[in-house]
Amino acid sequence: MSRDASYAGIDLRALRGIPVLLLPAVFAVLPVFHLGANTVKLLFLTFMWIAASVGWNILGGFAGQVSFGFAVFFGLGAYATAVGINLGWNPYVTYLLGGAIAAFASLLIGLPTFRLRGPYFAIATIGVSEAVRVVMTNIDATGGSSGYRITEHGPFRQTEHYYTALALATLAVGISMAVRHSRFGLGLRAIRDDQDAAADSGVNPYAFKLAAHAIAAALTGAAGGVFARYSAFIDPEGVFGFQRSVGILLMPVIGGVNTIWGPVIGGGVYGVVEEEVTARFPEFHLLLYGTLVIFIILFEPGGLVGLLGRLRRLLLRRRAGAWQPS
Amino acid sequence: MTATDFLNLLISALLLAGTYAAMAVGMTVIYGVMKIVNLAHAGFLMLGAYFVYELHERAGIHPLLGVLLSFPAFYVAGLLVHWALGRGVPVSDTPTLASLLLMFGLWLVLQNVGYLVWGTSDRSILTPMTFATLRFGDITIPKIGLVVFLSALLFLAALEFVLHKTWFGRSVRALIQNRYACRIVGVYVERTARMTFGLGVAFAGAAGGLLALLYPFSPDFGRPFLLRSFVIIVLGGLESFSGVFVGALILALVETFSILIVPSSYQPAISFSLLVLALIALPGGVAGLVARMRFRGTE
Repeated sequence: MSRDASYAGIDLRALRGIPVLLLPAVFAVLPVFHLGANTVKLLFLTFMWIAASVGWNILGGFAGQVSFGFAVFFGLGAYATAVGINLGWNPYVTYLLGGAIAAFASLLIGLPTFRLRGPYFAIATIGVSEAVRVVMTNIDATGGSSGYRITEHGPFRQTEHYYTALALATLAVGISMAVRHSRFGLGLRAIRDDQDAAADSGVNPYAFKLAAHAIAAALTGAAGGVFARYSAFIDPEGVFGFQRSVGILLMPVIGGVNTIWGPVIGGGVYGVVEEEVTARFPEFHLLLYGTLVIFIILFEPGGLVGLLGRLRRLLLRRRAGAWQPS
Repeated sequence: MTATDFLNLLISALLLAGTYAAMAVGMTVIYGVMKIVNLAHAGFLMLGAYFVYELHERAGIHPLLGVLLSFPAFYVAGLLVHWALGRGVPVSDTPTLASLLLMFGLWLVLQNVGYLVWGTSDRSILTPMTFATLRFGDITIPKIGLVVFLSALLFLAALEFVLHKTWFGRSVRALIQNRYACRIVGVYVERTARMTFGLGVAFAGAAGGLLALLYPFSPDFGRPFLLRSFVIIVLGGLESFSGVFVGALILALVETFSILIVPSSYQPAISFSLLVLALIALPGGVAGLVARMRFRGTE
């Protein structure tokens, strides 16, 4: 395949980008076919999860800093949007606000924890989400633990929500690609592989990690905002709960960390499983995910993307074997 | 606050500190030797609680005997886990993404197996000791707290003995210092690591049993204690055994005395605030601080 990468002087590898561009276009056209409300909801949630998952991967995958606390950003974004909409602001402004607040929070978390080597960051994030959840359940202005209702004037337009989520997911993947192929992304990869060597070659690990954390948090916060406006009701356990953090971490791990498409595939799988399986077997899904994580780390650390790559290589080898029976 | 109130709080803080030290030490040995942050610690704490509970309910075995029995049982469980998952844990000087996620996955599995078996409702182990108190004038000491404290100290003393008087213990301490030097002098690194993992899990199980005597528990029992364990070992400097005692004492004191100023609904946020403070002020933990002061002294 890649051996004939050029035809008549045209680099065919450039064409590989086309299906990628087509993907959001296909989903943008889909609502024309009058999908059922449930299907649209499923796709909406999936896009929203993909945005959060891609965000997590920028920090956890590219920079290699595992966080168990992305619910903080998801929840902050959700609450920012909720409060903003209730104040009568434009929802799209509130998404930006949610992302900005989440990015600011990421700095507060990152400033003390990224200074140190070792597992400090990962464990501190468990504590952060716990602390923020506790504080939010005690704040009376947003209803405390009984939750917060969002009242938006005008009719509920599901298609608008659908396109918002699709745009956010597309933006997330775009940012992820831009980061990956930039000097910044290269620096993150260097930090992931060997922090000392990266620092010696002029990368500032502290600043790079903080920046990656902020980008990831902003995307997750915006996803939280999109979620809040759709569901019209949020509560601390739902958006700040440990389950949320677990979910956001699982998606890229299942799909394949440190890749562009892993988190997207993982988000898609998670969105569907969450909607279809969780409703029926609520007690099984975390058991299932836990087992899955163990198997992925033990046998295919590349996740689903790694598995697909392995299958493709297997098929190619078989085909090559048919050509040259040696 | 009167002097007796102060003394009562101080005593309960000290009793708590002993239990906390036993709880965190399992995490320290595993981290020190294998550089694995054992997130499944929370799961083993929870299983330890149910182990003691089931023995007590079904076989009528005294909870303290149950805690003692949990030690070998969880040691074997730890060896099995290490045998099953060990290949996924690359040997490294710093914790790896893979080992972190692996232990996280194991925790999810343990926790949700707990939910499947025991449901979501809270359980507790009640013995005649549970509500009994010892009185010395105005000072009251909860009997169960004292018993748990003494058992925890006993376990810790046994660990100190093993670490300082046996070859296994010497290998463990050597491995914490330098893995490569250990290989050169002929320490069987793999076997020591395996046994250390078993030991860490055994301590988690036994500590879970002890905590179950003090608090009601559910399958999510371990989570707040996981964070506490981590605060303790960060305060203690991650790899130091004496640091664990200091860290446990600090956390217990802060938690106990903060009741006076912080509303109880904010209690879960305390351990985290302490963690952040520790990270900013004492990056090397208390042990690091002591070392730095000594270093300055020699200059």
